[in-house]
Amino acid sequence: MLVRHRWRRVVAPAAAGLVLLVGWEVGVRLSDLPAFVLPPPSQVARTAVEVAPLLGTDVATTLTEAGLGLVVGAVVGLLLAVLIAAFPWVSDTLYPLVTLTQTVPTVVLAPLLILWAGFGLLPKIVLVALTAFFPVLVAAVTAMATVDAEHSEMVAGLGGTRRHQFWLVQLPASVPGALGGLRVAATYAIGAAVVAEYLAGQSGLGVFVQRSRKGYEVDQILVAVALVAVLTGLLFLLVDGLARLATPWQRPSLPSRPGRTPL
Amino acid sequence: MTTSPSTEAPTAAAPALEVAGLTVTFPGTGRRAVGAVVALQEVDLEVAVGEFVAVVGPSGCGKSTLLRVLAGLTPPGATVTGRSTGTACGRSAAWMPQRDGLLPWRRALPNALVGARIAGMDRAVADARARALFDEFGLAGFERAWPHELSGGMRQRLALLRTCLPGRPILLLDEPFGALDAITRRRMNAWLAGLDLAGRGRAVVLVTHDVDEALLLADRVVVLSDRPGRVVLDLRVPRDGTAGARRALLEALDPAGEAR
Repeated sequence: MLVRHRWRRVVAPAAAGLVLLVGWEVGVRLSDLPAFVLPPPSQVARTAVEVAPLLGTDVATTLTEAGLGLVVGAVVGLLLAVLIAAFPWVSDTLYPLVTLTQTVPTVVLAPLLILWAGFGLLPKIVLVALTAFFPVLVAAVTAMATVDAEHSEMVAGLGGTRRHQFWLVQLPASVPGALGGLRVAATYAIGAAVVAEYLAGQSGLGVFVQRSRKGYEVDQILVAVALVAVLTGLLFLLVDGLARLATPWQRPSLPSRPGRTPL
Repeated sequence: MTTSPSTEAPTAAAPALEVAGLTVTFPGTGRRAVGAVVALQEVDLEVAVGEFVAVVGPSGCGKSTLLRVLAGLTPPGATVTGRSTGTACGRSAAWMPQRDGLLPWRRALPNALVGARIAGMDRAVADARARALFDEFGLAGFERAWPHELSGGMRQRLALLRTCLPGRPILLLDEPFGALDAITRRRMNAWLAGLDLAGRGRAVVLVTHDVDEALLLADRVVVLSDRPGRVVLDLRVPRDGTAGARRALLEALDPAGEAR
């Protein structure tokens, strides 16, 4: 049973990926496609090794933008959520507007941000933050609005005021939700940074992609694409790990086994 | 009222809490008030300082509602009429819900300190008192456990500890061990009886549907009728032999005698 489970989860997708790569390699070689349209994976791998030493600064730039943007977005999202939970009038006036802003995909705003904030790190950080704050905000607001009545009644029954409700129940109850939103946001962050870099900038993976495109170096673009995927995965794992550290009371979401609770 | 539990003798005459003519109505829904329910009708209850009173009654008779009103937790939408003194004057009561209400993101000790924090107790004082009570409540060594790591009986004891810690003069306990299995529950009750909660210059109101629990723990037992809840018996528990009291309680709970 367990062996079959592991086989399905790891071996099967790996094998499928390998088949795809081999198919791509064979297909490109047989069809004589020029390398500036679609290079074979072997060439992409060779290019990756070649350009790897040059990519350090670009990766650092993109990671800085994504990381700072994510932090700013998370802080802003959580603060807004707190205001919305604490003051009904903030909720009434602000929440619909905030939701409305999400009807504009944030990357559409990138040119404006560059006009306003220049070519440096700032517009990229702002763009990543704009993309990241919303999932955090929604998840935190939902968590605070659906606080367990058992907990809020306990606090009230001990004479707790609204202030106690907020600090003892609502705010801590929102943390797992906000972290869930942050996990979602982490998957967008690198992509948002790269798109912002497409438009302007001195370094970053997006700049590298644009430069490669102008030289018809499709292999380099593919290297960058693979790198974005890997970095996004790593960032997700990092945020996931931090989230676990920050919520040590949460039980691992395994199916409950009998006999685990002490009596 | 400032409590210094060791020195202050309970002033016998003054009731810790008193309600008179308490009626609680749930208005129901719609213009015709479909499903309007009178939960409690003209309930009088007086609890003296140092007294342990148990309120028993069949399920749905409004005994939990009574306790909630005493705790100042008026159920949403309910209409409450009548006079009440003692608990109504703000923060003199501590209420313990049926479910333990432990906060999953706090370890055992910080959970125990929730009530103290609300009461504005000095941190160091509260901490020291909590550690002493952990011993007394059989929770020593579990200060750093998460609530989900504790057994049902331990969770309830921790919740009771949290309720006792701020030293409020009135304790309101809503079936504190109702969710436990029969054996654990009996053990908890024996332990609770030895704790002498009311002896520390406090008044205790315990809601239960278990007559034996009431007789074991309380100085006085108040029986509520089926909905709408009215007081049908107010019985002082005799010190010598509870057989007669038990019979009287069962009779009051089940006047038609169907269960006998």
